[in-house]
Amino acid sequence: MQRVLFRDPRGPLTLVLAALVVAPGVYPAAQQLPAIVRGRVEIGIPITARRPTSAYPARTITTPKRAPESERRHVVVYLRDTRPQDVMPMRVAIHQVNESFTPRVVAVTVGSEVEFPNDDPIYHNVFSLSRAKNFNLGRYPRGDTRRVRFDRPGVVKVFCEIHSHMSATVMVFDHPWFAVPGEDGRFELPPIPAGDRQITAWHERLGDTTQRVRVESGRPATADFVLPVPEP
Amino acid sequence: MRRPPRLVARTLAVTFVTVAIILSVVFIVLMVDARGRVRASEVEQLSVAEKVFTALEARRQQEQLAAIATVAENPTLKAALDTYFTESSFTGLPAEQELALRNTVTVEAEKLAALTGADVLAILDPTGRIFVSAGPLQDRWPGSERIAIPAGLSTFQDIAVLPQGAFRISGSVLSLVDRDIGALVVGTSLDANYARELSNLASADIVITVNGAVAASTAPDEVAADLVSAGSDAGETATLSGEEYAVRTLVRSGPARIYTLASIDAAARTATRDALTALATVAFGAFVLAGLGSLWLAQTLTDPIDRLSGEIAMMTASRDLRRPLPLTGTSRELDSLAEAFNDLVQGLTAAEADTRAAYLGAIRALAATLDARDPYTAGHSERVSAMSVLIGRHMQLGDAELDVLRLGALLHDIGKIGLSDEILRKPGPLTPEEYEQLKRHPGQGARILRQVPFLAPHIPIVELHHERPDGRGYPFGLRGDEIPVAARIVHVADAFDAITSARAYRPARGTAEAIAELQRFAGTEFDPASVEALETVLPLSTTTPEPALQELLGRQLA
Repeated sequence: MQRVLFRDPRGPLTLVLAALVVAPGVYPAAQQLPAIVRGRVEIGIPITARRPTSAYPARTITTPKRAPESERRHVVVYLRDTRPQDVMPMRVAIHQVNESFTPRVVAVTVGSEVEFPNDDPIYHNVFSLSRAKNFNLGRYPRGDTRRVRFDRPGVVKVFCEIHSHMSATVMVFDHPWFAVPGEDGRFELPPIPAGDRQITAWHERLGDTTQRVRVESGRPATADFVLPVPEP
Repeated sequence: MRRPPRLVARTLAVTFVTVAIILSVVFIVLMVDARGRVRASEVEQLSVAEKVFTALEARRQQEQLAAIATVAENPTLKAALDTYFTESSFTGLPAEQELALRNTVTVEAEKLAALTGADVLAILDPTGRIFVSAGPLQDRWPGSERIAIPAGLSTFQDIAVLPQGAFRISGSVLSLVDRDIGALVVGTSLDANYARELSNLASADIVITVNGAVAASTAPDEVAADLVSAGSDAGETATLSGEEYAVRTLVRSGPARIYTLASIDAAARTATRDALTALATVAFGAFVLAGLGSLWLAQTLTDPIDRLSGEIAMMTASRDLRRPLPLTGTSRELDSLAEAFNDLVQGLTAAEADTRAAYLGAIRALAATLDARDPYTAGHSERVSAMSVLIGRHMQLGDAELDVLRLGALLHDIGKIGLSDEILRKPGPLTPEEYEQLKRHPGQGARILRQVPFLAPHIPIVELHHERPDGRGYPFGLRGDEIPVAARIVHVADAFDAITSARAYRPARGTAEAIAELQRFAGTEFDPASVEALETVLPLSTTTPEPALQELLGRQLA
């Protein structure tokens, strides 16, 4: 069992205070302008990453060459309580590599298509029992690819019928204000209309954490998250 | 005096007592030893059973864990479970989807329960609460009940104590590539069925305790209760409900203990019964063999002894000591006893012959003295003896009678030894007084012979040789057949020799004249048969010497 610690080098309880200097307002004072929200996501408890507990011990799986994705990539930061917006469809691919979905967490807009190319030398299957999108792409071999269009907002859990340990999450939003942090945990939400807003960071295992953020006209706001929220 | 017991009784008694003592010692040793052996064997058997059980159980658990790990890799189950919890925590689940996902999990769980044949199978949520349960005992694992599972293991085995009872659980964590979404747990109720199953496996009684209370048991209730109060410090053996048991702990997990136990007393009873049966058979055989053996031994001793004593009794009855006792050839000791007896008899016979010879010598001396007193009667006794034997043989007397006749004739006038020389040598006729004195000599002779026991058969000859068939003889005046044959013969021979011998007062007469004289008085004075016989044997008297008489007289034969 491989245990990988995702731990801030300066200590788990240390908040990373993003030193964001708000630029002096250059916008006309009368008009409320949207503003970006930046921030950083920290994961404050050790994450245990399991190797697949294979029911087929005879089969050998090559150890992934790439370093495992930073756990921060499995977080989705988004704006809560918004009215549906017109959004542009996106195109995203979730690869099936080394018996796992890569990336494991994606966030897309309503109407987007997600492609599931099979890069493994074995068959895979993609299916979901989720309300937002219930589908089964069947089994297909290496090099083949199938795609799914997500028309309803919500969380969609994706599994492989052949390999029970494989799972991925597709978050479908009917607005554009969401982001997946980079490996360093930094994220930036597109400009949000000014006002008091609630921003949520969601992790598939650690649950979600919501912060209230005051977005001032034209002034980038900051929202830093530590998951899970330390007990007060 | 008490009669001593028979030899066979003694050998039988000794043999039987010996066998009985040996068997008793064997019995006691067997009883003491059997118990020790049974105890060791039961403890050993139970220990082997424990090892076998442990090995089987380890393998079974490994297989069960592998099976559970395999069935836990159920994509539908995992997908439904993960979708259920992810979505319910994200936005909440609408009722119909909640039901659909839960049904999916339930259907899968029921399939797996049927597949594993488990008492109860449950799918736990990530917090360890029962999400869905299936199987025959699913009622005992109601939803939301917590089942504590060991942390940090992908598969696990443990004891779970629920209000509804204790269970042995095996399970596998349901995991996706990066996290655990719950667990699949298979439970086996620690109840009577399980105890019976284990009991069959271990071939001994099983007691299952949970938190120090009996949960299930195949042993009697008091035994199980005693085992609980004895606690886990019960060693290899423990006294439970008054009986000794061998005890091993098969499983020691959390609050649960599974003991296996076997009654040493029960096993000892069985072993003792078997041993007793065998011993009884051996005892029977031993007694029969010992009885036969001692009978045979006694017979080899008593039979020849009986035979010998029979022979001796016969010899004693017949007064015949000449034939030696035959050797039995059955044992050296008996043969040397018989030889000693023969030597003794020989010695006695020789001594008796010496005594007889001594007596004969003395009597012969008497006879010779008598003959020497009167020159006219010299050789008279010898001639009468020889003639009498000739007559007796002709009259077909037996050898023994002839022997008596020979010596009796030789001594017939021994009574005359008491007569005075005047009467004995008187040349003329005797006066009546002198004749009365002469007539006393047969009685005198009988009195003399009575002094010697072995001369008793000869007394009638001496005493009655002057009786006459017509009853006019002396000393008793017997008639005819009242007079013994031997006495009649000697009377005839005496008269014949007297007639044919010279006397001081007359010359000797011829034999023909003597025969005529005898014939004239045959029937009145002489026995006619004897006279007739004399007449027949007379020619022999001069030609045939009598060896027996010569021997009797101690003369050397030519």
